[in-house]
Amino acid sequence: MKAAPSAGDKHSLDIAALLARWLLGGLFLYLGVGKVLHPAEFAKLVREELAIANPFLSSLIITTVPWLEVLYGLVLLSGIAKNAAAVVARWWLAGVFIVMGLHKALPHPQAFLSLVRQYHLVTSPILLNSIGAALPWFEVFCGLLLLAGVAVRGAALNSVVMLVPFTIVVLKEALRRAAVEGIPFCAVKFDCGCGAGKVFICHKLVENTVLLLLSAWLLTGRGWPLCLRFSLFQEKKAASDLTKPAEQAAS
Amino acid sequence: MKTVLQEGALVAVIGAALALAANALSPHPLELTKDYFPGDKVASRSPAVATNATNAAAIITNSPLELLSARLRANGLQLADSNQVARCFRDPRREQDGVIFIDARDEEHYVAGHIPGAFHFDRFRPQDYLPNVVQVCQTAEQMVFYCNGGECDDSEHAAIMLRDSLGIPKEKVFIYGGGFTEWTNNGLPYELGARNSGDLTNMVKAAASAKAGGPK
Repeated sequence: MKAAPSAGDKHSLDIAALLARWLLGGLFLYLGVGKVLHPAEFAKLVREELAIANPFLSSLIITTVPWLEVLYGLVLLSGIAKNAAAVVARWWLAGVFIVMGLHKALPHPQAFLSLVRQYHLVTSPILLNSIGAALPWFEVFCGLLLLAGVAVRGAALNSVVMLVPFTIVVLKEALRRAAVEGIPFCAVKFDCGCGAGKVFICHKLVENTVLLLLSAWLLTGRGWPLCLRFSLFQEKKAASDLTKPAEQAAS
Repeated sequence: MKTVLQEGALVAVIGAALALAANALSPHPLELTKDYFPGDKVASRSPAVATNATNAAAIITNSPLELLSARLRANGLQLADSNQVARCFRDPRREQDGVIFIDARDEEHYVAGHIPGAFHFDRFRPQDYLPNVVQVCQTAEQMVFYCNGGECDDSEHAAIMLRDSLGIPKEKVFIYGGGFTEWTNNGLPYELGARNSGDLTNMVKAAASAKAGGPK
């Protein structure tokens, strides 16, 4: 039988969760303030890389998203409305996966295939093509699950499994480019295949850290409100377990 | 924890199956068994990896141009610089398709601007473009393949694909390393829209177009 965690262990976990939340809040603040201070770069990303042609929609995204990120960062830092913040995290992660996945899959999946190839992960054409063909749609699938709130922890686990190796290969490629081109690490800018075109590596690493922390947060059982079916297995047990953190958060 | 792992595995299996199905149903699916990068069999694309025993020039220098040249030689291709390409463009044989340019970029880039008179061949969709280039490739005396230049290697793979499938002698095949980016940077004219549309532009017009969000 599994032993219950001691008070000391629980205290350590609470401190770790608090630090992770502050880190996430700080990173959101950083991303939001960065976009507010450099609106032209964000506008270029939205209009050219994400190809959002509708002027009203693109303007809406350009003007609101940076401030929403700042606001969300402050909410995370302050620790208020944790459950609502977790739901927003789930939807935000879902939105990123759906938009980026579709951007890779349509209309030119071969462009993404070429970008995957730059990492020299596999030599077999079939394996390479399978990654290029399936990965974008798999991201969309995980995004839809997170959006609807189905198998949230399973989708979050897959998100972590995708993000960790991807971040490592992007980091290795950036280090190689910095060495070959003889430029500072943070000056390295290339299309990493993330769906947003050419990006500065340090900014990309911050974004990936945010995505990883959000995924890890959902993996711990957060983000359950407004879910169609939070857990595929043992729904009753999972639901009863999840009321505890909710009650704690409410108190 | 076990439940989460089981759920994650189930999501992975169902997601992978649906993802492959979505690819098959998409307008431009990737063919899983096709080799989209035939040049990889002979030489690596990456300059860092190109420094191997088969590539003596790469060991001596780290110049991107030298590395590109060595990589092309390993694939039986010849590198053409901007002067050679400009001479090909002015060659009278170009009027009778004795010297041809082949643009290996996608449709979007081709329509936004290409070397005047260049044929279009998107190697990712050969079934759509082969009929337009088969005959001219078999009769041309020189053919210059290009893409965007820089890190782009679509021109190399397109050249290998056409050369090997049509049995074109390798002496006829050239790769313009600087690509379309260098072409426009040199102030040379380019053509908008379809091949031989007659909608030519030069750098003065190109600069105005770039300000208005025109061809890159």
